[in-house]
Amino acid sequence: MKRRLINLFALLACTAVVFGCSSSEDSSSSSSETASASASASASASESVEEVESLEGTVEISGSSTVEPVSVRVAELFEDVAPGVAVNVDGPGTGDGFELFCNGETDISGASRAIKDAEAEACAATGVEYIELQVGIDGIGVMTNANNDAVDCVSKGDLYALVGPESTGFDSWSDANDLAVELGGTGGFPDAPLDIFGPGAESGTFDSFNEMTFKSIAKSRDQESREARPDYVSSGDDNVILTGIQGSDTSLGWVGFAFAANAADVKLLEMDGGDGCVAPTPATIASGEYPLSRPLFIYVNPAKLADNPALEAYVDFFMTEVSLQDAVTEVGYVPLAAAEMAATQNTWSSR
Amino acid sequence: MKIGSTLNDGKATDRINDEIRRRNSDPRGIIFRTFLQLGLFLALLILTVLLVDVVQNGWGTLSTRFGDFLSGTLRSRSIDEKLGVHQGLVGSFWIAVTTAIVAFPIGIGAAIYLEEYAPKNRLTRFIEINIRNLAGVPSVVYGLLGLFIFVNTFGKWTGGKSLLSAALTLSILVLPIVIITASEAIRATPQSLREGAYGVGATRWEVVRRQVLPYAAPGILTGTLLAMSRAIGEAAPLILVGAVTGRLGTNPGFLDLGALKERFVAMPIVITEWTQNSGRDPGFAGAAAAAIVVLLVFVLALNSIAILLRNRFEKRRK
Amino acid sequence: MSGTVTIEDLQTAPRRVRKERNAKFLLLFTALISVVISIVLVFSLFSEAWDFIVGIDWASTWSEGWYPRRGLYDVKTLFVATLITTGIAMAVAGPIGLAAAIYLSEYASSRTRAFIKPVLEILAGVPSVVLGFFALFFIAPEIIGRLNEDASAGSLAAAGVGVGLLTIPLVASVSEDAMKAVPLDLREAGAGLGARKSVISSRVVFPAAISGIVASFIVATSRAIGETMVVFIAGGAADSAGYTHSAFEGSLTMTAAMASLASGTDQVKGEGLTFQSLFFVGLLLFAITFMLNMVADRFVRRVQERY
Repeated sequence: MKRRLINLFALLACTAVVFGCSSSEDSSSSSSETASASASASASASESVEEVESLEGTVEISGSSTVEPVSVRVAELFEDVAPGVAVNVDGPGTGDGFELFCNGETDISGASRAIKDAEAEACAATGVEYIELQVGIDGIGVMTNANNDAVDCVSKGDLYALVGPESTGFDSWSDANDLAVELGGTGGFPDAPLDIFGPGAESGTFDSFNEMTFKSIAKSRDQESREARPDYVSSGDDNVILTGIQGSDTSLGWVGFAFAANAADVKLLEMDGGDGCVAPTPATIASGEYPLSRPLFIYVNPAKLADNPALEAYVDFFMTEVSLQDAVTEVGYVPLAAAEMAATQNTWSSR
Repeated sequence: MKIGSTLNDGKATDRINDEIRRRNSDPRGIIFRTFLQLGLFLALLILTVLLVDVVQNGWGTLSTRFGDFLSGTLRSRSIDEKLGVHQGLVGSFWIAVTTAIVAFPIGIGAAIYLEEYAPKNRLTRFIEINIRNLAGVPSVVYGLLGLFIFVNTFGKWTGGKSLLSAALTLSILVLPIVIITASEAIRATPQSLREGAYGVGATRWEVVRRQVLPYAAPGILTGTLLAMSRAIGEAAPLILVGAVTGRLGTNPGFLDLGALKERFVAMPIVITEWTQNSGRDPGFAGAAAAAIVVLLVFVLALNSIAILLRNRFEKRRK
Repeated sequence: MSGTVTIEDLQTAPRRVRKERNAKFLLLFTALISVVISIVLVFSLFSEAWDFIVGIDWASTWSEGWYPRRGLYDVKTLFVATLITTGIAMAVAGPIGLAAAIYLSEYASSRTRAFIKPVLEILAGVPSVVLGFFALFFIAPEIIGRLNEDASAGSLAAAGVGVGLLTIPLVASVSEDAMKAVPLDLREAGAGLGARKSVISSRVVFPAAISGIVASFIVATSRAIGETMVVFIAGGAADSAGYTHSAFEGSLTMTAAMASLASGTDQVKGEGLTFQSLFFVGLLLFAITFMLNMVADRFVRRVQERY
């Protein structure tokens, strides 16, 4: 039955390529049509559709709040194909998610960074294995309130000076000027309250941001801490961070690009990675031109696949173009390039 | 003293007469009264503004797709035509039913014991003080209790972070309220009713069963309705016992008992979640307001019935 | 000897005796459940909080903010935010609730009462999430935003006003009960001395009922300290908050800190004791409200004893 399912989804993927992918650039709402089109296309395909249709079961997903919208959107599309399967998705944060995953409480864990060694050990200790599947790319959007005219573009040095490990206690943007200039940044920030909102330590976005912005600078400066300053308002919920940034005229914050792209009253900052300022767009994130882009993953517990056909069907569906291309695009993330997508699909089918 | 010593003085009599006549034009009294009325007026104004604000925000959703909104589920985007509160309604329904089944018998039983049976000793006093204290414990603390007992310790039977755990937690939360209101209703039963029954040889239980409970029933019912409305409006303990804050895949019917052991949401959680989502997708603010209107209809209906019931009960007694 | 009434005839039938005994035990059992709940409550708080108390580096409970995921547990931040929110709440609920109580008890005609009391009770029944929504989308922009243009979108002030609205009915009903309990004689004596109504209300009834009024304020304070959702939604902070003593900034009260820490999961990851800090704050909250309620109880009892 497994084989037949894979065939079915391969077929689905093909129809998606023909009908959906070509139109996926023009609007995000078209993909729901794609989904129903492919669902109806599959309905005529073979009898194994009925098996998916009649599948029952529950899939428990937790983990990154950044990956949550993708998993949710895929689940919403999957609902049309397999109405009997309940897919629950929570998004407390990548780290909290792995706690649950390694305790065997969830079937899939979303992650906005690769699993850490410590987490892998925790999983090994409880005998939980995992299959790592990259499902998309996301930029980290650094932003301020739309009313803030003082900044448009920042460098990693600026960010290090504003929110890095050595900035603890800075209340005003201007407090960071000396350090920013020292690090080759532009500096020249105004004397205005620096209200910072960002992901908490449970979030994968937090880890990725540390890794990409602070790590090398902190290392070269012999700093013990290579993480963002502790004293800012943090949350595992990206919605809450956005609300905070919207609430203060001189705020500074960072969340997954997808969350930031459609939000009102916030201004995404351009990033200077050394070759001039680059605005975050799906194109610059996919090409890596925008300096803060990172992969998004889902981790699947293979032991749970055996007794839960619903889980297998859901991940199968996740691996189709409908999900990896359209759903990912629709929630604002950048889909994988063709070769990487094929690699992910291959990892899954050859598990 | 002053009045007494000058009473015989004609002028004083005139003055007193003046004072009495002027009572209606007493400026300080008018100011005081106006101040009080202002306070009341403010309270009413706030309630009105709140209701208008919420209905205004939610009207778009309610007027265009009321039926779909009631049958829809949690969705990732506010424009989704399947967005709705059905899962929240089912969760809140079972919470109300469970509190009725669990908290009411225990609460009423405890009230009967304390009012009719308990000897006046230390244990009784201790139980009474204990109940009053439980009534004052913040709801979020009950969430910790639920997390510890129902989710972790007895997770095997309750299904862990399940609707049953949540409903049991809220049953415990409203138990003191049920006991206190039921005690008041029982205490208000005239002593003559009891004495009459004892006089013809009834046992204590027979007195309670045949005389006290029928008389106190409306009062007890009022208290239980208020407790029920409190339970379906609570959100904080549900967050701690693991209400789903992302997507809930299941959408059981109202009478599906299996839902009890599954992950859950309830109306207050739906409202909280959508309110927070409005940062990313502003359309959720309207959806949250619409959900509030739906919740308020139920809560206010329960409250109004309770209040009406009590008022009729009080009138009858007079 | 037929026709003589024996002792046996006067005794209650054994079946009825048994029923009586069973009922008594069953009812005692239900009454004891509340005691069991209290024990379990305190035990569950202590079980996890103890690990925190023993394992914590106490220096981290007095730092620059509440950052539980990063091992900084500045309790002062939560205390000050709780104080600010509760203070604002009482500044709103105290005068309005008291005015409503005096008016209802001393001035209102029975017709007005019949209308006003249910309205207050309806206000009391409004769930706190609704007040949270109202505080975030109405009070914050329309009231707080006008008082202080720099106020953040969600702030302690907005949350405090929201909590205050929630506690008005509590102040009003407990105070009114206290004033109603003042015997009519006192009022009549006042009137007999020629006192005006305003004087009777403020100089006779108010002092006589003062214990009950104080109790209503304490109970309301306790309720405001324990209120969670309004601050969680409209308090302008998330899982963590820097120390602030400005009402116009966002911060975390004890309750909001607990709710946001547990949002979405009970497997809280952080620097070792993050999850336990949840129970530690819960224990503090329990202790504070417990003491306030005990004090309030004493004041209420004083009213009951006097009249």
